[in-house]
Amino acid sequence: MTRSLSGGAPRPDPGRPRVQNATGDPDAAIRARGLSKVYRSQWTLKRTVALADLDLEVRRGEVFGCLGPNGAGKTTTFKILTGLLRATRGAAWIMGVPIGDVASRRPLGFLPEQPYFYDYLTGHEYLAMVGQLSGLQRHDADTRARRWFERVGLGHRPRLMLRKYSKGMLQRLGLAAALLHDPEVVILDEPMSGLDPFGRRDVRELIQEQRASGVTVLFSSHILPDAEMLCDRAALLFGGRVQRVITLGELQKQGIQHVEIRLEGAPILEVPPPWSGRVEREAHGAETVLRVEGADLAQDVLRWVMERGARVLAVEPQRGSLEGLFIAAARQVDASGRDGEDSQRRSA
Amino acid sequence: MIVVVLAQNTFREVVRDKVLLGTVAFGLALMLLTRLLSPLVLGEDLRLTVDLGLSSVTGFGMLIVVMVGASLVGKEIDRRTIYNLLSRPVARPLYLVGKWMGLCAALWVVALMLGAGLQAILLWIAGTSRLLPVLSGIYMAGLELMVMASLAVLFSALSTPVLSALYTVAFFCAGSWSYDLRLFAAKFPPVLASTIEVVAGILPNLPLFNVRTLAADGLSPPPFHFAFATLYALLYAGCVLSLAAIAFETREFK
Repeated sequence: MTRSLSGGAPRPDPGRPRVQNATGDPDAAIRARGLSKVYRSQWTLKRTVALADLDLEVRRGEVFGCLGPNGAGKTTTFKILTGLLRATRGAAWIMGVPIGDVASRRPLGFLPEQPYFYDYLTGHEYLAMVGQLSGLQRHDADTRARRWFERVGLGHRPRLMLRKYSKGMLQRLGLAAALLHDPEVVILDEPMSGLDPFGRRDVRELIQEQRASGVTVLFSSHILPDAEMLCDRAALLFGGRVQRVITLGELQKQGIQHVEIRLEGAPILEVPPPWSGRVEREAHGAETVLRVEGADLAQDVLRWVMERGARVLAVEPQRGSLEGLFIAAARQVDASGRDGEDSQRRSA
Repeated sequence: MIVVVLAQNTFREVVRDKVLLGTVAFGLALMLLTRLLSPLVLGEDLRLTVDLGLSSVTGFGMLIVVMVGASLVGKEIDRRTIYNLLSRPVARPLYLVGKWMGLCAALWVVALMLGAGLQAILLWIAGTSRLLPVLSGIYMAGLELMVMASLAVLFSALSTPVLSALYTVAFFCAGSWSYDLRLFAAKFPPVLASTIEVVAGILPNLPLFNVRTLAADGLSPPPFHFAFATLYALLYAGCVLSLAAIAFETREFK
């Protein structure tokens, strides 16, 4: 079964302004093809591209991370998928149902970024209400509201009005609201935002629980170690495009990428020319840190520094990390942006 | 089912708002004040109390429509609470209908509370309740408020709370003078007159709901008038909500 992020799927007619009604891949929980969103200023008519031909496929039962800097298009993607925004171009499906159809939101649970709630309701009233709006019967919604209220750690203040909730409490309530109707697909926009370390741990556990029960989770986060811990796959978004999709399992299987050698005693002011580009040097007070590419070269570098009388404090092998890949992708985007500007200037 | 849940939530929102409680209290206080005016109206104090009491029902109901209703949808968009509703399997037209129904329910509660207050005052002043005329006046005021609530929901779905409040007040004033506007049209050349007629037709026909003078005289309108006014109110609100639904369908929430 091919589940690549591009190619293979029929492209939507670019002339159609709205998300079209076509059959989505039933194996994919979420599928987007050529999703674009362009905003036009009412006064200046200036166009701002928020999403540019975004292709995305989230498999059933996986935890998929959307990672990217602010303005990369994560929230815009989520809002299009949940029907809050209309795509300028492209198509998307949730569990095979086109997102233009209200039925596509039946199997969906959504936590918006910085969720806002009704001040005049209690937490329990709010959960019971959104449960009914998600299709639960009144009694069922009420029972589940009570259970989820306890589950997210808010059970001790059942009659507290939402206006008196702290930011962390509201985030927990938002999570409960996204999950209480047992959705098949959950979209969480920055679920860790505003939470203390205990709250973050609870959210991680909730996401892991969802994965264990076969729920598909799509979430965005700025906290890369959390994403690394949770995701099966992650898409790196820059400038409204998917720059790269990473399978986290493969990342962990990768061998040693770099070796960090920390030393002191003899100053290493420069590395020999044959190693330039493969060995990076940083000075931290009396300490020098050499970042060496690959384990084989590290042996030669170690021998060389010891011959020079330096005292080796630590040798730390570094495997590939999500953060490393994220920064590399960001640099690549920066460089290609600069190249683009240069070529535009030259042609001008 | 979804409409009822949304209506319940809106009803809670309006009822738990301090504006509602303040409005009802102020309305009742104003009715009591009519007692002070009785020496000035030479034995017409019963008429005055009924007239002012029923005017209070419309006036304070409109105050709630403007202060709460006109920001009903706009506030949800500003505060982003709408994200939690429309990201669920809730069709946008149903959302608007639910909002309108909840607001109407709250307005009926206000009308009935003020009506009950008016009855109590009438019993106190004259030892008579004028039950039927007052009830008919309150029913008509409730229908009038339902029509105005639909307009408030329309404007609220399309613009900011302040503008929406201004449009609602403007439509209330223009709608209250729609008969005069038609009489005024007759004085103009045919083309202009028919344009004014069209405008008057678009405006809500609020004088249809005004039975205050009749009620003050201890009379009620004939049953046909009730039926016609009810049908008109439901049709007008239906048309306005359909317009709102069409416009709201394409609205984006950035």
